[in-house]
Amino acid sequence: MATRTVVEGVGVARRKRLSETYIGAWLMTTDHKKIGIMYIVTAFFFFLVGGTEALLIRTQLAVPNGKVLSPEQYDQVFTMHGTTMIFLFVMPMLVGLGNYIVPLMIGARDMAFPRLNAFGYWIVLFGGLFLTSSFLFGQAPDAGWFSYAPLTELTTNCGPTAVECNAGLNMDFWALGILLLGISSISGALNFVVTILKLRAPGMTVNRMPLFTWMTLITSFLLLFAIPSLTAAAVLLLLDRHLGTHFYQAGFGGDPLLWQHLFWSFGHPEVYILILPAFGIISEVVPVFSRKPIFGYTFVAWSGVAIGFLSFTVWAHHMFAVGLPLIAQAFFATSTTLIAIPTAVKIFNWVATTWQGKLSLRPPMLFALGFIAMFLIGGLNGVALAVVPFDYQMTDSYFVVSHLHYVLFGGTAFGVFAALYYWFPKMSGRMLGERLGQLQFWLMLIGVNLTFFPMHILGLLGMPRRQYTYPANLGWNELNLLATIGAFTLAVAMLVFIWNVIVSLRSGKEAGGDPWDAFTLEWDTTSPPQPYNFLVVPTVRSRRPFFDKKNPEIADWKTPVH
Amino acid sequence: MSEELSQRPSRQAGKKEKMSKEAIEQSIEPQLSYWPIVLAAAIIVMLIGLVIHPIIMIIGVVLTVAAIIGWGLERR
Repeated sequence: MATRTVVEGVGVARRKRLSETYIGAWLMTTDHKKIGIMYIVTAFFFFLVGGTEALLIRTQLAVPNGKVLSPEQYDQVFTMHGTTMIFLFVMPMLVGLGNYIVPLMIGARDMAFPRLNAFGYWIVLFGGLFLTSSFLFGQAPDAGWFSYAPLTELTTNCGPTAVECNAGLNMDFWALGILLLGISSISGALNFVVTILKLRAPGMTVNRMPLFTWMTLITSFLLLFAIPSLTAAAVLLLLDRHLGTHFYQAGFGGDPLLWQHLFWSFGHPEVYILILPAFGIISEVVPVFSRKPIFGYTFVAWSGVAIGFLSFTVWAHHMFAVGLPLIAQAFFATSTTLIAIPTAVKIFNWVATTWQGKLSLRPPMLFALGFIAMFLIGGLNGVALAVVPFDYQMTDSYFVVSHLHYVLFGGTAFGVFAALYYWFPKMSGRMLGERLGQLQFWLMLIGVNLTFFPMHILGLLGMPRRQYTYPANLGWNELNLLATIGAFTLAVAMLVFIWNVIVSLRSGKEAGGDPWDAFTLEWDTTSPPQPYNFLVVPTVRSRRPFFDKKNPEIADWKTPVH
Repeated sequence: MSEELSQRPSRQAGKKEKMSKEAIEQSIEPQLSYWPIVLAAAIIVMLIGLVIHPIIMIIGVVLTVAAIIGWGLERR
């Protein structure tokens, strides 16, 4: 009874309103911190879903002529693995981290549009559940995460206007799910752009913004310009499937390549959307655990801008093998090689930041250093794929699978865990366990290399992507088995993390406001922060405002560069 | 007695300061709203209706429009 009533005075009590209950407060919240936590928890749930799908794939491929999954089931599982990991794990996780941290970092009380922020979250949750529920109907999307036409054109319209008849809703789930998630991405991106441009604390010029904020801003612009292309592609697909149009059907005057151009015009900026916030995370963690300001702040910030612009000029490197004119292939090969330069600039700057720094190898720094090493491998094999003749051989092989997983798992996922270890104390008021963090890191480092390095060789030996099994006499057996062992090693690492979170929330060491002796404004609050963040909005005079407050004698604003 | 009287203004001033800090905190705390979740649910109903049945889609459209109007009219 005490939890359901509110006492308003002597002898006066009433039932609690929904907003006054614990669940109601979360359902109706517009607080960026609560929304950030909901994004992070939801994204982690979908990470486990996508991870389970990955384990099913690896179990099927562990031995030749595997019988764990049928070909149809395999198609659904690998499609949903890619779709879930990209749209329901990485994107919401990065948005969640941005949601929680960016307003605190810039000295704001909340995002510019709090209700739009909440709306973006609920769309992700409902859209994710909608997409995943397709398994319950036995009709999960099954044409790969990039859903190439005309495979996706199979419709319910039997007769002379249809290529074939198929009563499946598989691709309708995918197209509608993508449309929903696109709405969330656009609303979130708009919110971040306005928040970062208009709500920064007094004195925080763009040249003094934290680099995580910079990368979030660039990512938001990428979303605003890239998502419409995907939306257009998905709408045209739905029109082809249900209203008898022929945008992607060559036999009726359409062009399947139209899908590829529209999709990859979104798809390539999308991969930078997936990595840029991780670059920002590393740019926050490495300086704090090197006890130095970042080396070359301006270069790191503006190389992100360069990546943003260049990301719209490289899309057809996913299409080298479709028969593009030679001049187009030459252009896209050049632009793809060029985009490696600003990325390399960042790596040099992070390494230079650690040079002669007082390194502290706590878990956030371990994951950050792991990111740099693993992303370097992914970047190098990516540049190899920019060489057109090499790509002719390697496209749609396991070499590409290796590349994308080194950059997305070795890169973004390591960045995400660096962020979680770094900012979990701020969000919860408790430290995550150090020893368990170190164990998780080493399991992940071993796991990611064991899983994905053999795939370089599998690709070079000719193993194609999206094959549900393989014969025993092609020399692929041992490498596939190694990759499967690596995948299960990664699964153990995730269990370690989950255990760490549970134990730390219950009885972790109290964090205090500033457990890392960090530099930026989010640490100048309690842990967790008050609902309103800052009672008095701080004034900023350098790139490390909290460092200045703690060390007024050697404040950054006293040296000319700041 | 005179001590009590002299203490009263400072206690009252302290109470005023504490209240105004609480009042400030309340005025800058994030406000609750149910329109975001309602609008999100309405859009889902509309899109599910696109696939399942036009009647469900029409219900979804009506709910979406109602949610947008409710959102716009909400006092903040």
